[in-house]
Amino acid sequence: MTISFFLKAAGCAMMVAGTSGYGSWMASGYRQRMELLIGLRQMIFLLKGQIIYANAPLPEAFEAVGDRTEGVLAEFFLRIAGRLDAQQGETFCQIWKEEVELIDKEAALTKADRQSLATLGEHLGFLDREMQERNLLLYLEQLDLVIGDLRERREEKCRLYTSLGVMSGLFLTVLLL
Amino acid sequence: MRRISIRVQAYFVPPLIYCIVRGGIFIDKKEGLIRIFSKDIRNILRQVSVDFEQVQEIRLRVHLPLLMIHNNREFYVTSDGKLSKVAEEAFRVGRKDLKETLEYMSDYSLYAFEEEVRQGFITIQGGHRIGIAGKTVTDANGIRSMKFISFINVRLSHQIRGCADKVLPYLYDGREILHTLLISAPRCGKTTLLRDIIRQISDGTKSHPGVTVGVVDERSEIGACYQGVPQNDLGIRTDILDCCPKALGMMMLIRTMSPQVIAVDEIGSREDLEAMAYVMNCGCRLIATVHGNSMDDIRQKPVLRELVQERWFERYVVLNGRGGPGHVDQIYDSRGSRLDWPGRRVYDN
Repeated sequence: MTISFFLKAAGCAMMVAGTSGYGSWMASGYRQRMELLIGLRQMIFLLKGQIIYANAPLPEAFEAVGDRTEGVLAEFFLRIAGRLDAQQGETFCQIWKEEVELIDKEAALTKADRQSLATLGEHLGFLDREMQERNLLLYLEQLDLVIGDLRERREEKCRLYTSLGVMSGLFLTVLLL
Repeated sequence: MRRISIRVQAYFVPPLIYCIVRGGIFIDKKEGLIRIFSKDIRNILRQVSVDFEQVQEIRLRVHLPLLMIHNNREFYVTSDGKLSKVAEEAFRVGRKDLKETLEYMSDYSLYAFEEEVRQGFITIQGGHRIGIAGKTVTDANGIRSMKFISFINVRLSHQIRGCADKVLPYLYDGREILHTLLISAPRCGKTTLLRDIIRQISDGTKSHPGVTVGVVDERSEIGACYQGVPQNDLGIRTDILDCCPKALGMMMLIRTMSPQVIAVDEIGSREDLEAMAYVMNCGCRLIATVHGNSMDDIRQKPVLRELVQERWFERYVVLNGRGGPGHVDQIYDSRGSRLDWPGRRVYDN
């Protein structure tokens, strides 16, 4: 029982803890992404209501939805409302794309999620209400597919991330010893 | 010496405050209005040094010169913001300018103005009316929408407090307000006059107490409501039904807000007449405006003729825009006889 044995044991324990932690973090990121997309879906529903039933112009609609919700996406909506209201000579599409890029990088949205959100902005604002509704419904459909997929694989993926974390820690321990 | 200095300072302070406040309002009004134009046109209009209180219209036509009607005179606007009489010097409006302008003036939400686009105009914050023309898309029910919008006319709204001072005594019989019809061609100031009549009736004057006024503001021109809040002062006893068809609105106000006076702008249809009859039979007083050049003109119009023949109104105020908006030419009684009115401008634009 030498000091080097204790150091090795401590190192192994830390490695396993580290990789397990990373696995759990990945699993929690997966869950967070799903929750964020569910929140976004609800916000788009509210936005649709504001546009179709209240006939609210976009700045008013974004502000109303942003005020009623919380989190990074609410901030995103409120920032857009503020910039639209300020009318600094930028087109809606420009504002939307810039703001999508500015959504907290820590937020659990993937590159594909951000891209699909950015595309939504290309079709908002012009033409009639029917067209707005169709665009929003199309985006909602896409969101539903992604959320459905995430929901279906949640158990499996979360278990996989957690077990892979622990197992990779153990594997590295065996390899290094 | 010290006392004199204090007096002189006191004498100059109110005008100074007035100038600062009024200057601020002008700047705000100009900036607020300029925001609806494309970036290039904004930069040009920012350099225009004229008083925007005197600007009546700004006209944009695709590939054609940018025009401004200032003090009843038409000018070309140059790229460096000067007003010119030479067409060649004018800034030419491009398709991109029109597209951008449409986006900004509709708050990035043209869909929210579907009904207005169908009618050919949008009213924006501040009560300014924007006329649009392009290719109409029609169906069996009439105009469905408009595309390739290539012509835009921005008509600036002005509130001129006190412009009804001279006319108002003619609209009362003792303490009772008379049913009044303001007759005027476009751009002669009928809405401006109506706005001040409403304000004064609602607030009350030295000789008449204020009464409850209901306004049906179909095109948001009278009160210029923005998110439900009137941007023009229509008095403390005024209820406004914004963006509501006149005929429906008049009935609704009678049932819900019990006004003593109802005011509407630009009547003309058969439905309007039916609603007006309802208002008058309810004991409410009515103040309305109509497009026309003279009393004779109104007598010849199919629907409006009945109003004069059956003596619905007790006062007719005719504006003719001689020498600019705000010129009240004649005031008539219910029989169409001229009252003792000198024929003068009630305000300077």
